[in-house]
Parts: sequence; structure tokens; C-alpha cells
Amino acid sequence: MRITSRLVTPFIQVYGIYVILHGHLSPGGGFSGGAIFGASLILIALSFNLEAGVKQISHQTASILESGGVLGFLLTGLVAIIFGGNYLANQAAGFPIGQAGELFSAGAILIITVFVGIKVASTIVTLFYNIIEGEK
Amino acid sequence: MGFADHFPALIVIVLFFAAFFSPLLFRWAEKFSAPFVTAALAAALVMTVTLLVKVQQTGTVLYHMGGWPPPWGIEFKADPLRLYILLIVISVSLWIFVYAVGDLKHELKKEVIGWYYTLYALLVGSMAGMALTNDLFNLFVLMEICAISACAIISIKEDRECFEASFKYLILSAMGTGCFLLGVAMLYMATGYLNYSLLQVELAEALTLYPRNIFAAAALFIVAFGIKAALFPLHVWLPDAHASAPSSSSAMLSGLVIKIYAFTLFLIFYQVFPRELLEIVPLNEIILWLASLGTMFGSIYAMLQTDLKKMLAYSSIGQIGYIFMGIGFNQDLALVGSFYHIMVHAVTKAMLFMVAGVIIYSTGVRQIKDLAGIGRVLPITMLAFTIGSASMIGIPGTGGLISKWYLALGALEIGRPFFVLVILASSLLNAIYYMPIVVNAFMHQEDFKFKAKPVPRFMLVSLVIGMIFIVISGIFSKPVITLLEKSITVLF
Amino acid sequence: MEVLNGIIENYYYMVAIILFVIGMYTMLTHSNMIKKIIAMNIMDTSVFLLFVAIGYSDGGQAPIIKEGAETIYVNPLPGALILTGIVVAVSVTAYALSLVVKIYRYYGTCDYDEICEIRSQE
Repeated sequence: MRITSRLVTPFIQVYGIYVILHGHLSPGGGFSGGAIFGASLILIALSFNLEAGVKQISHQTASILESGGVLGFLLTGLVAIIFGGNYLANQAAGFPIGQAGELFSAGAILIITVFVGIKVASTIVTLFYNIIEGEK
Repeated sequence: MGFADHFPALIVIVLFFAAFFSPLLFRWAEKFSAPFVTAALAAALVMTVTLLVKVQQTGTVLYHMGGWPPPWGIEFKADPLRLYILLIVISVSLWIFVYAVGDLKHELKKEVIGWYYTLYALLVGSMAGMALTNDLFNLFVLMEICAISACAIISIKEDRECFEASFKYLILSAMGTGCFLLGVAMLYMATGYLNYSLLQVELAEALTLYPRNIFAAAALFIVAFGIKAALFPLHVWLPDAHASAPSSSSAMLSGLVIKIYAFTLFLIFYQVFPRELLEIVPLNEIILWLASLGTMFGSIYAMLQTDLKKMLAYSSIGQIGYIFMGIGFNQDLALVGSFYHIMVHAVTKAMLFMVAGVIIYSTGVRQIKDLAGIGRVLPITMLAFTIGSASMIGIPGTGGLISKWYLALGALEIGRPFFVLVILASSLLNAIYYMPIVVNAFMHQEDFKFKAKPVPRFMLVSLVIGMIFIVISGIFSKPVITLLEKSITVLF
Repeated sequence: MEVLNGIIENYYYMVAIILFVIGMYTMLTHSNMIKKIIAMNIMDTSVFLLFVAIGYSDGGQAPIIKEGAETIYVNPLPGALILTGIVVAVSVTAYALSLVVKIYRYYGTCDYDEICEIRSQE
């Protein structure tokens, strides 16, 4: 059990990051990728014990990242206003739009999905920690 | 585009930003946290006022998120009526927040205060969004944010009654949002749009093609918002939730949260559903009767209570009835009355809950019968209670009279004097349970039995602000009424 | 007969509505809190099912533009909405569960009737 989860975790995490980064090219995106990434952290905490999970990412770091993810999202939207578009505008605000089908092809969407991914992953972890600690 | 053009979006964003920045600030620089949220609320207030001035000069402002026009993108709409509600939401919540910052130190554990600020700013932000949004699905998301943060500011007190009340509220409001989402799905099936303005055009046609879908949606919306706004038979969650929460949360929930849902139902009735629907199905009639029953039963239940905060919570059920009555009459003067009542009741009920908070803080008394003679110990607090109850009853010189006056005028205008009697009778019932407390507090022969701590100055200042406002709203009501009349007559 | 045909053609709507009613019934009648939360999820999911069913078109693909290929896409909007809806449902569920954990700590039971009994005895 422990060996399997130790073996599998890095692959899950890489896959989670892949899903986040390719959100605008294939089905998936910030939420699904973040959920996969968060699940891998929970897997560690479940198969070893809570301390091992906390060593990976502590409760405090997770909640800081949680706020940070949302703030990043909001600020990306604000950048658009500074460059003269509407809130959360993409092309109109001058984010570089590449060729369709490439990795860097959707301007602000990539940045936003990354922030959403961070937010979702850390939220799932904090939720898990909260429920676990509530039982003590 | 100038900076000012982005205000509709920025109002909501500033509040959400404050919500997620304040826990970080609370962790690293604790003493800046509360001023930061206050500053954000004040900034939102300034933006709302600027926007209101601008809208009155140039007409309705539309704002498209991300520059995508309506069928795809989310649209925010700023018309005078929505901005009026927004102004109430933000100014009252700023006022309650100033009170809350001081009061929370006594009611909550220190670690959670930072999170309380987060939830508070989220709640205000989602309500501001609900007032502004012009998109049904966006409304759904904001409703859920509002519901979760409203439940959370109840349960943050870490008290088992709070947990139960909050669970009850959460389950019932989840049912409300479930019904709402099903209604949205029905409308989306019939038309393929989610935008209010597009829906209204499209629904007029769809009404002949798919009448059943739209009737079902209308029924689901009434149930959904009835639960959320505590319309009479669906109010069961409200008394527990509002009575067990920390006083500042009660003020917020009773003063603003139920009103915003009533307003959203109004928007859906008048800006989404086509006029013909209201003629085919007697939706207004249903709401009118439920609201009248609510005004009577809310007051009757309130009389039976022994706990001060429970009594105030039941009184909210009665008062929300007046607001729904305006929608029920489907007549412009009555709607002016109910919109005026949204403002008056938001301030009055918030102030009464603050009074309850001050009494609990200073003496620890919650039972109504123990309040005898308290007027001599806490004179300013009980003066505030007196003025608040006068406004609830509708005594001349307070805002409560104006709104009831316009409601009664509306009832006479459509030829239904019976409902004038209902309004009078329920005012009388209000008097029956508010007045004894006031009389007992000041006239009681014996001295007050409990020890009273001195009340901090900021609490008294917020009470005084409330009192002044209620009296002003009773005497100088002209500008607000003109604004409301101008923007409501457009709808008919 | 017409009604029956209508039902058979639109059976997924029927399934969604039946699920919705099951969820609502369970939520209102069962006193166990965990069951209430599960019912809440059933209710939400039924609406998501309805939304997705509206947006589906036969032989449609995920709506991602590829170079040179003209295919039928399913309507992306309901999908996007449902994703948001699922996130919301997850957060409500998580919050409700954490409340149940706290209530369980005070009373030692998840059953609302038993809690009422315990309270009335005090």
C-alpha cells in the first residue's frame, strides 16, 4: 500500500500539472487538474499518516496558497483593466495570443488556470485537514 | 475607457479582494486587518455613489465581463433601482462592520476573527454581485457563495446551537438553490439564454410554445426565493439561525441577506418574466396572501417568545411580509413602499440586533422579562430600542410610517381596502410585543437586578447613527421616494 | 399516447426529475444528517444531468477547435455551467460534512431526532 502510493504519487502529480497546463487544448483545466494534484497529497496523508502529509504541505501553507490563488486570479483580471480592456479581458487587453493548438496559445487563460489549479489543490487539502482535525 | 467605467465590476472585485487578503493580513499584520476591510467597504461605497450619480445623468450602464457580449459572457447591469439596493447593502454593512470589529472580540475566539472578516467581505461581495448581475447562472453562483458565508458566520461562534441552526439553514437553503437551478434549467431549455434582458424578449415567444416549462420555472423560483427570504410558510430556519448567531451576524442576516433575495425575486418577476405570464398565472396573488399571512403570524409568534433575539428574529418574518406585499400588489406605489421598507427595515432591524448585542455584552441578559428597569442603567441603548420599535410599528416621525403609508396607498389604488386592514392589524400586533418592553424598561418601579458593565463608546456611536438615520428617513423621505417612483414607473 | 411518446423521447428529462424528487423527499423526511447531505448531492446531480442533456447533440465532440477539422461540437455552455455547479456542490457538501463532524462531537449522534431527544432531556 505505502510503496504503491509512493510510486504512484509523482505520476499523479505530473498528470495533474499536465491537465492544468493543457486546460485550453484538451478537456480539463484548473479545476480538474487541481483536484488531481490535491488528491495526490491527500493520498500520502491517508496511506502514511497525517504527519507525513503535513510534511509535504502544512495546513498553514495550504491556506496561504488558497488565498494566494484567488488573489492571483483577481489580479490577472485587473491587469486587463490597466491595459484598457474590460475585467478579465483576454485578447483585447494585449495578452499575446499564439497559434491555436500550441501550449502558449490562449493568453491570460493559461495564467488563470494555473491560479485556479493552485487554489483548488490547496482548498482540497485544507478541507481534508479541517475535517481530520475536527475529529480529534 | 476610463477607470470609472469599470466600477460595476470593481465594486464586487474590491470586496472579494478584501475577503481573501484579510486572512493573510491577519496572519502577518493583525492590526491592519480590520481597517483594510473597512477601507475596502468604504471604497465600494464611494464607487456606488459615483455610479449612482453617473447613472442618473446618462442612463443605465451595462458591463460585460472579459469584453464578451451577453449570449456568451456575464453581464452586469447598473440601473437606479439596483444601485439603490447596492447602496443600502454596502452602507449598512459598513456600519455593521464598524460595530462588529469591537463586538467580536467578546463573542469569538481570537484565531477566527481574521476568517470572520473574510466571510463578512465575501457575504457583502456576493450580495453586491446579486444586486448587479444580469445573468441567471452567475446569480446562482453568487447565491451559493452568499448562502455558505451566511451559514459560516453563524457557525463561527463554535456553539452547539449555532452548529445546529447553521446546518438547518444550510440544508434548507441548498434545497432553495436546487429548486432555483432546476428553474434556470427549465428556462434555458425553453430559450437557450441565461441573460435577463434576452430572456425577457425570448420568453414572451416561448410562453406560447412551452408554457409548462415556464410555469414550472416560476413555481420553482417562488419556492427557492421563498425559502431564502423566509416568506411565511418557508421561514422555519430563520428564528434559530438569527437568534443563535453573534449579534453582528444577526444584524447582517436579518437586515440585509433576506432582503436581497426578496429583491432578486422582484428582478426576476419584472425583468425576466414577460408581463403576460403574470396575467395568466396569479403569481402575485399567491405572494400577496403568503405575505399577509406572514405579517400576521410573524408577529403572533414573536409575542410568544421569551428570548429577546428570538423575538427580533420572528419580527423579521413579519417585516419581510411587507416587502413581499409590494410585489404582491403589482402596483407602482406599493412597490415604492416596499422598496422604502427594504431600506428602513435594514437599518432598524440591524440596530435592534445591535441593541440586543449591547445588552448581552453589558449585562448578559437574554430573557425579555429580565429587562425590567434596564432603561435607567443603559439609557442610550434603550432609547435606540424605543426609536427602533417605533419605526417597526410605524409611528409618525419614523421611516416605518412612510413605507406602510405607500403600501396602503397602493392597496387602495387597486381597490383592495382589505389589505389596508391587514397592514393596520399587523402594525397593532407589532405594537403589542414591542411596547411592553419599552414601557417596562423605563417605567418599572424596582431597580434593574443584574450588574451592568460600561458600554464601549463605539457601540453607542453606531446606535446613535442608526437612531439619527431612522428619524431622518421618517421626516425627509422626499428625495428617495422621487428616485424610487421615477425608476419603478418605468417598469409598468 | 402523445404524452407517452413525449416521455419516451425525452426520457433523460424524466430521469432527472425523478432523481430530483427522490433527493428532495429524502432531504425532507430522513432525520439522519449524512443522508440529508447525500440527498442534497442527488438533487444537485439531477439538475446537472438535465443541463448536460440539454447541451448534448448526437455524435458531438468536445468543443475544442482543431486545425482544419469541421466536426459537430456539443454545446459548451452547459458543460461550463455544470463544472461551476459541481464546484459549488462540492464546497457546500464539504462545509455541511464539517458541520456534521462538529455536531457529532457534541451529541455523539448524527440523527436529528435523537439530538432533539437529548436536548429535551436537558
